[in-house]
Amino acid sequence: MNGPEPAQPPVSALEPWPDTVRWQPISRDLIWVELLRLATGLAVLLVGLGVGWALSGHRLVGVAFGVVLLLGLWRAVAIVRAVHAWGYAERENDLLVRHGLLVRRLSIVPYSRMQFVDVSAGPLERAFGLATVQLHTAAAASDARVPGLRPAEASRLRDRLTALGEDRAEGL
Amino acid sequence: MTESSGGPEVAPDCAREPADPAWPDPWSRPAGPPDGGGAASPAPPVAPPTAAGPHGEPAAGPPAGPPVGHPGGTPPTVPGAAGPWATPPAEIAGITPAGPPGAEPRQRLHPLSPMLHGAKSLVVVIAGLSWSTLSRVGFGWFVAMVVVLALGATVLAVVSWWNTGYHIVGRELRIHEGLLWRRTRAIPLERLQAVEVVRPLLAQLTGLAELRLEVVGGGKTEAPLAYLGVGDAAALRQRLLSVAGRAPAHQPGAAVVPGGPGPRPEATGRPLHAVRNADLLVSQLLTPQAFLLPLGVVFVVAQFLSEGSWSFIAVASTLTAMAGVLLQPVRRVLDDWNFRLAREDDSLRVRNGLLETRVQTVPLDRVQTVGVTWPLLWRVKGWLRLRLEVAGYSTGEPDDRNRPDRLLPVGDLPTGVRIVAEVLPGVRLTGLPLAPPPARARWLRPLSVRVLGAGLDERVFAVRSGLLTRRLVIVPYARIQSVRVVQGPVQRRLRLATVHADTASGGGAVAHHRDLAEAWVLAAELTARSHAARRTG
Repeated sequence: MNGPEPAQPPVSALEPWPDTVRWQPISRDLIWVELLRLATGLAVLLVGLGVGWALSGHRLVGVAFGVVLLLGLWRAVAIVRAVHAWGYAERENDLLVRHGLLVRRLSIVPYSRMQFVDVSAGPLERAFGLATVQLHTAAAASDARVPGLRPAEASRLRDRLTALGEDRAEGL
Repeated sequence: MTESSGGPEVAPDCAREPADPAWPDPWSRPAGPPDGGGAASPAPPVAPPTAAGPHGEPAAGPPAGPPVGHPGGTPPTVPGAAGPWATPPAEIAGITPAGPPGAEPRQRLHPLSPMLHGAKSLVVVIAGLSWSTLSRVGFGWFVAMVVVLALGATVLAVVSWWNTGYHIVGRELRIHEGLLWRRTRAIPLERLQAVEVVRPLLAQLTGLAELRLEVVGGGKTEAPLAYLGVGDAAALRQRLLSVAGRAPAHQPGAAVVPGGPGPRPEATGRPLHAVRNADLLVSQLLTPQAFLLPLGVVFVVAQFLSEGSWSFIAVASTLTAMAGVLLQPVRRVLDDWNFRLAREDDSLRVRNGLLETRVQTVPLDRVQTVGVTWPLLWRVKGWLRLRLEVAGYSTGEPDDRNRPDRLLPVGDLPTGVRIVAEVLPGVRLTGLPLAPPPARARWLRPLSVRVLGAGLDERVFAVRSGLLTRRLVIVPYARIQSVRVVQGPVQRRLRLATVHADTASGGGAVAHHRDLAEAWVLAAELTARSHAARRTG
């Protein structure tokens, strides 16, 4: 799903420098992780609203139930598209991460500015064999987070980032 | 330090060094008598590197077995160590494992510090009780309440003082705190960025000082040691810096500001600029708060006249509210009084303050961004303000007075140009190439689109924004940590994008609403130039 709008100008919003950058997708299994996460939250909310509706019989609660359901479905579609839109690319000197559908974001983080790398995996992610790699710089605003990586790929990326970071390490 | 069982853990205690003669500290705990026999070896004054690893704990450090707590809270002191300076209970409960042999004893803060904290709380107490309470309970009760609360605060401060201690172990400064929730913070001195000696007004009157440590990555100023004697603070600062392997470039004690009207040490180095106090006053009168105050006064007086009631409480409340409004300009005047800027080798020395004098040293290679601000009312005079963002200093503190961010509280354009050229060599404030965004950005920023601008200079990235208060942010390429391109839904329709250049502190520079193709070029250029700038140093 690169550039879902055909009416895009020659340079697409998410794909700068198309000739030099090879984007890597993230694992589609992340869709299931995110959907399960959404489903649990949604289930709690819907059960609460459903019980309230059954007990009070108020029409407004029913409307709220429907709205929450619709929002949940819309969010599910958004998750599928967002996971497709997420990508990263390793260039010679920097890591590119792009994500976001409504607000599109592209981060360019030079390896030399890396302070440390986080590899994390929650229980749900572990069940699907996924991990998240996050690159931290001294700037709090930098967001270079790559979710949905296979553990092998995650550790490869981590090792590569660490090696490159040490290679080109510089302070602030 | 001593385990209560009195077993082998007594040994470290008796290995404690005698008080260092160069470190005369009457309120430090005296060493216990050597009741352990000849196990103790005389320790050098500074914890030797052999005694502790980089983390200060030898392998045999942790006490064997679970620590035997004493619920009664009566510390089983080592015989002979009793008395007013006996081992505080914090060490007994096993929270702080025994330090390595040769570690210096824990030092307490100055005995006067609880009094100072109590006096500080007096202000808070009075503010908290407020005028309406005074009117409700009468003066006598009010005073009684204030006294009781202030006494309570002082007692708490005494308790906390009693349980607070610090010492240097290996290459760490350890600070022990707390009675119920004990906390030991170990501050690795390698990560120390700066040590500041600060003297608030009360401390100036009592000859005390506060020591503030700035640590890389710390969310806030770590561990303010409040309060120490002035000499001790200077000596400890010196020692921390030498342990951190960063011997200060200037002579010892230069950062200590003597209180009172005595001769002050002039900021060393080549003086760059001194702000005239008259200008500072006028500049703070040209703020909205000061400008609108007469209107407020007229309004209140008119209301009183029409109501015909002049109760003491109403007047007092009005005055308090006005003081609150005026607080920021007044604080700025007090903080920036006698502002002096000097250049010393590769750092700037900033000295300012009327009640609380502070001297700050800002290494130029740690400057992340320079911000120029033109407040609306100052444009009459053609004045501007310069600020710095420095790496390593806390960003999360609400009280930003402790950050070395002042470069010029008020000044005219030539002064600003001169100082910017000093801080960022080769940058001309007036000659920055700022290009406006495309005209269609007016749909997003109808008013301020004319002000927006961004440009790539030879060595810096500069962006301008702000309709009323105009701001210019200058980021050297070498300080850019990451580059981001963000595009919102409306921007996508208009084929615009916003480019962020992130820096280690502060918001970095944000070029709003650039043409999409230009945004990509900007991002590519920023990345490439920051890479090149780092290569060349």
